[in-house]
Amino acid sequence: MSDPLDALQAKVRALREEFERALGEARDPQGFQAVKDRFLGRKSGAVTGLLRSLAGLAEDARRDAGRELNALKQDIEARLDGAREALTARSRDERLAHERVDVTLPGRPPVLGRRHPLTVVREELEEIFLSMGYEVYDGAETDDDYHCFEALNMPPDHPARDMQDTFYVAGHSGALLRTHTSTGQIRYMLSNPHPPVVRIICPGKVFRRDDDITHSPMFQQVEALVVGPGITLGDLKGSIEAFLHALFGPQYPVRFRSSFFPYTEPSVEVDLGCIVCGGKGCRVCKGTGWLEIMGSGMVHPAVFEAVNARLGRMVYDPEEVTGFAFGLGIERVAMMKHGIDDIRLFYGSDLRFLEQFPA
Amino acid sequence: MKVLLSWLREFVDVRVETARLAEDLTLAGLAVDAVEGRGEDAVLDLDVTTNRVDCMNVHGVAREVSVLYGLPLKPLEASFAESGAASADTLEVLIEAPDLCPRFCARVLDVRLGPSPSWIRDRLEVVGVRPINNVVDLTNYVMIEMGHPSHAFDLARIPEGKLRVRWGREGERLTTLDGVARTLAPRVGVVAGMHEALALAGIMGGASSEVSETTRTVALEAAYWEPLAIRRAAKTLSLRTEASHRFERGADPEGPPVATARIAHLLQKIGAGTSRPGLIDSGGARRAPRTAQLRTSRVTLVLGTKVPEARGREILTGLGFRTRGREADAEVYEVPTWRGDVSREVDLVEEVARHHGLASIPSTVPPSRGVEGLRPWQVRERAVRETMVAAGLTEVASYSFVSEAEAAADPAPRVALRNPLSADQGVLRSSLVIPGLLGALRTNLRYGRRDVGIFEIGRVFGPGEPLPREERRLGILLSGAAMPAHWSQKARAADVFDVKGILDALAARLGLGALRVAPEGLPPFVHPGKSARILRGSEALGWLGALHPDLASAWELRDEAVAAEIALDGILAAPASPARFRPLPRFPEVSRDLSIVCDAASPAADVESRIHAAGGDLLRGVRVTDRYEGPPVPAGRVSLTVALRYHHPERTLAGEEVEESVDRVVRALRAAGAEIRGE
Repeated sequence: MSDPLDALQAKVRALREEFERALGEARDPQGFQAVKDRFLGRKSGAVTGLLRSLAGLAEDARRDAGRELNALKQDIEARLDGAREALTARSRDERLAHERVDVTLPGRPPVLGRRHPLTVVREELEEIFLSMGYEVYDGAETDDDYHCFEALNMPPDHPARDMQDTFYVAGHSGALLRTHTSTGQIRYMLSNPHPPVVRIICPGKVFRRDDDITHSPMFQQVEALVVGPGITLGDLKGSIEAFLHALFGPQYPVRFRSSFFPYTEPSVEVDLGCIVCGGKGCRVCKGTGWLEIMGSGMVHPAVFEAVNARLGRMVYDPEEVTGFAFGLGIERVAMMKHGIDDIRLFYGSDLRFLEQFPA
Repeated sequence: MKVLLSWLREFVDVRVETARLAEDLTLAGLAVDAVEGRGEDAVLDLDVTTNRVDCMNVHGVAREVSVLYGLPLKPLEASFAESGAASADTLEVLIEAPDLCPRFCARVLDVRLGPSPSWIRDRLEVVGVRPINNVVDLTNYVMIEMGHPSHAFDLARIPEGKLRVRWGREGERLTTLDGVARTLAPRVGVVAGMHEALALAGIMGGASSEVSETTRTVALEAAYWEPLAIRRAAKTLSLRTEASHRFERGADPEGPPVATARIAHLLQKIGAGTSRPGLIDSGGARRAPRTAQLRTSRVTLVLGTKVPEARGREILTGLGFRTRGREADAEVYEVPTWRGDVSREVDLVEEVARHHGLASIPSTVPPSRGVEGLRPWQVRERAVRETMVAAGLTEVASYSFVSEAEAAADPAPRVALRNPLSADQGVLRSSLVIPGLLGALRTNLRYGRRDVGIFEIGRVFGPGEPLPREERRLGILLSGAAMPAHWSQKARAADVFDVKGILDALAARLGLGALRVAPEGLPPFVHPGKSARILRGSEALGWLGALHPDLASAWELRDEAVAAEIALDGILAAPASPARFRPLPRFPEVSRDLSIVCDAASPAADVESRIHAAGGDLLRGVRVTDRYEGPPVPAGRVSLTVALRYHHPERTLAGEEVEESVDRVVRALRAAGAEIRGE
């Protein structure tokens, strides 16, 4: 006999084939919707119609056939969802492919400004000293004979004045361009808010009548002054070592040798192990393995005496307070760090030079 | 100064390796710049500091070496036989200027003139002195050896055998040994005959009394000259010699008799002559020795480490100091006559430190005395710099002295230098832009760079008392493209709004509030139509604008240059009051755009303030977002698009409220002659 279930299964098979054909022909979301309507539509869907026709069957047959048809319905829905997703993915891929740019083209950099290489070094020095508890003191660039020489134990006609040929202001009794930032020592001690204790650095521009590959008529120095009870030459050594190691790295040795400056006694010249050859001897260190980096010394009692005389009272009693001072050229540090061989480049405003250094 | 090792060894038997010797001398304060090998021998090139004139000779260096290694120092041999009539019979010395010459020693020598023996000539040549004849060579040899310069006159050419030591006379003439005829002055000391000057005191001999082949008798001079007198004379004459170099730094007042004796000794030794009996020693009264005291406690206090008292004494006596007993806790030392640089306790501390060795002083760090940090103005100065860098500008540094001709465009008064290196650096700058940043631009244009954006933070100067006035400023200059060409867009030329925007950003960064611009009262070097003064409240900060085309062409600029210069001192000092929090808006903003056509000459700021005035409380912001001139807008008129922003802090705005405000704005603008092209 012709089992109604067998007949139904045949119809289901036919519908599956028909569905596969229809799905294969659908190209877009509308096509998929049409396929869905044709098979699963509430009113005229082929599967819906078959489900409806089960009403006349016996209960057992109806249950079996229902299971069969529901499986078909779910299969169709799953197949349709899969096809839709595949289509979405395909069209997204197409869009992305279409949106491709040539990333090898140059980027659009923001215009990059830079600090001057001497500013970079100066701020680095300032940071080191700030971390060691120093105040950054700012002095004037023009000054007078008293602050630049006399109070620093260089009376008129002192031979040491030869070492720093001075620019003078015209039509002015005593105004000059400071030849060193040591003027800051005197100015700070005279206006010290907490005498007799001093711990300052004084960075700034200084001026000397010199102009060649190693001398610029204007250059920058940092002066340091530490004064108080019990400040020693040992403190000078330790502070300078700490500073140079922070600046250049602890691998370079530091050497102290006796020297002469009118405003310090004992006076000490400081050498750093050559950062170019590591101390083996090269052209830069002239074969010595050492680079002269700064002058220093214990504050000469005559300096304290001059300041006391100006203040009109004993504020810095040389019997009670001692101090050390040192000064170094910022250009020299920058030249050593970057291997620059002409000091005048710093003041030439040549962007080809200035743009070589990180900001 | 060059020191021959074998010569040094005549006085101290030092046998350490030359490299070691050089290093030890360097650390002790006699920097050896170079060592030049000469077979077994070597030449040390010493850089002697100006205070150590006692080490500008072989024997002085030998003394340092003897202390360094604990070796005995051999004295100079200075014995000789005298013969003939007394020196004083044929030579008389009159010191007429004791402020020039405290002491003048002389001997009369009978000489057989000729070349020096080769060992003398060789030594002189090695240290850079040209041999001349045995008598002159001996004066040079002894100067190199023990430091005291001396001079030989041909006695036959000294009228009446009388030497007068006096100041020069105005207009007096003297031809010196170098063949130069010099005009003297009252500040120049001379050794003269009865009438005419014969030699420049302490600097150089004269041609008329020069030792020559015919010389048979020599008046040998060795004097002590006042350092300041020699220094001034050498400066006046612009003449520096080995002799003046030593005298102006302070020679040994006890040097003259030693130098003459040593020369007499060597003269006899090389068989070139003999000294007549007796030393003429004018002004040779012994000076009281100088003393200085040293407390061991002071050594410890200054150095931070203990140096045993015995070690200190050993160092000082080795250097020629003599102990003269004790006073309280101090040892009293007599300072050797050759150590004019030593006068007080701290000088003795330095001597001890030098020879004890700086390396053996332990390094310490002084105790912290609290926290320091940048002062607020310094923090703000760094913020200015960072803002400029973030705006794409590169920092330059230019000289504080500039050419007056190039600075002249700035009408501010300037301060001139009395002794500039050149006229190009004759005055202190009164502006950062003129000529500094302009010069920087020109430099870069010459190197083929067209797009330039630079700034400088530095001081300008003006007349003032007691010192010139100094003012800290910020200068900015842009030229060429503000935004460089890119494959995606064309380059955009820098204009005055770039500069203005940068200054606005700076004001925002420093919390200065809005800056105002005023288009009048402009400096003469700017384009009158593209520039403004900058004000903060009523305080004038500076100017911004395009540089005047006349100035631009004088500087051969290719493109328009826009610049600004503002005073920094005031805005760095301005307290940065902490920002006050405002509650976040809870209700949405409403915005409206207005298209307006108005008189092209009326400033946009006027339009904005008119809108602000008419708009009422709810109007929170007004901004020009577009500007157009040209057809179809009639000539002399300009089309502006203005964005209006409305907001109420406590509720959502009703449409009618906004419309009412916009209507008021429209009416106000129309009343002022503007047309409204749409909303």
